[in-house]
Amino acid sequence: MKKKFDPEKVLYATASIVFFFVAWWFITTFTPAKNTTPGPVEVFVLLITSFTKPIGEYAILGHLIVSMRRVLVGFGCATILGIILGIAMGSSKYAEAIFKPIFELLRPIPPIAWISLVILFFGIGELPKYIICGIGAFTNVTLNSYTAAKNVDLQLIGCAKMLGTSERGIFLRVILPSCTPQIFAGMQVGLSTAWMAVLAAEMVGAREGCGWLIQRGSDTLNITLVMVGMIVIGTVGLILATVMRAAERRLCSWNVMGE
Amino acid sequence: MSEFEKKRRKDKMKITAISGISLCCFFIIWYVCTAILHLKPDYILPSPIQVLQAFYEKLGTKAPDGATLFGHIVASLKVAFTGYLLGALFGVPLGIAMAWFRRVDMLVTPLFDLIRPVPTIAWIPLMILWFGIGLGAKAAIIFVSAFVPCVINSYAGIKQTKAVHLWVAQTFGASRKEMLFTVAIPTALPMIFTGLRISLGTAWMTLCAAEMLASNKGLGYMIQLNRTIARADLIIVAMLTIGIIGTIMTGVLNKLEGKLVKGGRRS
Repeated sequence: MKKKFDPEKVLYATASIVFFFVAWWFITTFTPAKNTTPGPVEVFVLLITSFTKPIGEYAILGHLIVSMRRVLVGFGCATILGIILGIAMGSSKYAEAIFKPIFELLRPIPPIAWISLVILFFGIGELPKYIICGIGAFTNVTLNSYTAAKNVDLQLIGCAKMLGTSERGIFLRVILPSCTPQIFAGMQVGLSTAWMAVLAAEMVGAREGCGWLIQRGSDTLNITLVMVGMIVIGTVGLILATVMRAAERRLCSWNVMGE
Repeated sequence: MSEFEKKRRKDKMKITAISGISLCCFFIIWYVCTAILHLKPDYILPSPIQVLQAFYEKLGTKAPDGATLFGHIVASLKVAFTGYLLGALFGVPLGIAMAWFRRVDMLVTPLFDLIRPVPTIAWIPLMILWFGIGLGAKAAIIFVSAFVPCVINSYAGIKQTKAVHLWVAQTFGASRKEMLFTVAIPTALPMIFTGLRISLGTAWMTLCAAEMLASNKGLGYMIQLNRTIARADLIIVAMLTIGIIGTIMTGVLNKLEGKLVKGGRRS
């Protein structure tokens, strides 16, 4: 779908965003809120300088890379495991009988609630962060692959069987492709949950990363730093979501879900 | 009973049996690893029996984290409901208004898109600095976490109203207001409920994070405090409680949805 250029829309959008920044500036310059909240100019200046001036051990890009690595490693491992487990549970009733009760027992516990236990287990190195990100992505991916594999159109499988496809062929050519769109939807949710989980993990116990950045700002009463951190985190979240959506368009162009 | 039905019944029993055995195995392995083999010290990985004992103790005693289990649950629920209800109360109407009125859409959507990508957890330090560590800050954080999915889903729900339905209403002389309340909102209800369900999940998850970072009561605080004094049994009790309460809340919401939403597909 191509978007048409609509001058009225652009006008309204600009007006509302300009209004937002002016209001922010006004409130932080002329009302008592100026004692607690920095204005847009201060935040912007710190955002620019933090690219070169390190906060803690790294400059802002360094923190970003650290956080990204944690998310991607955790998310990658969890996705592979989740897809395997989910499809196994969805296509074999024995696998379902074995794993589903345990999965259902542990699924409702949010990834953030695992942080303390994981830290007790593995200390505060890199591994616990991977695991926490992984838990966040794992439940979403598994659940979606499971429901997708469970709901594969039986007629399609019957057709393939009738035409003499082998078991392996049915799995690779029928079950897997028909699950892909839903798995992608699960991966999208999983990636944003992992991004959220890494922030929480870093806020609780870390010495670097985006979550540490805002926690540090909070500890030193530096709200400007907190806001810079929020801007960076929001931007990265947006980029991650966009990349996932683009990948989805490429890989399952016949069925774009999860808008 | 036909041969086929008998076989199916037998299969079903077999599956249930396997499920039961698998759950038992899980607990037995856990027990063997901890109580018999002592792979990890008790304060890091307690046995299931120790967890049960901790659960019973925690029902009555306030040590070591300052409240009974029930007290923590009440504190958490109070915060969660305050924030969640406010979020839904503002979020759903805003989403509907954004989808229904073109001007509101054009004015609010850019601002909303600006704020939306920031995960709720990133709001925690800011909210604490603004509102302190009382009920206010946590309720505000949960408000944000519930508000965003409510707006998105109500918006999408209204937008998916079929133009034909609106035309029919128009042909029969319905006013703009009647069209909104009798056509668009009922169409959107399943989506709105999905939004409410999603935001309940995120709200409950965010609550844990908020309580871990700044609180003196609540289930998240219980997890955090017991980590610093290495009482893994109580951490597991708190985790399971969080999971169970989450499941119960989702169940209640599903029941409510079944009562309120007539017809339409459940997404």
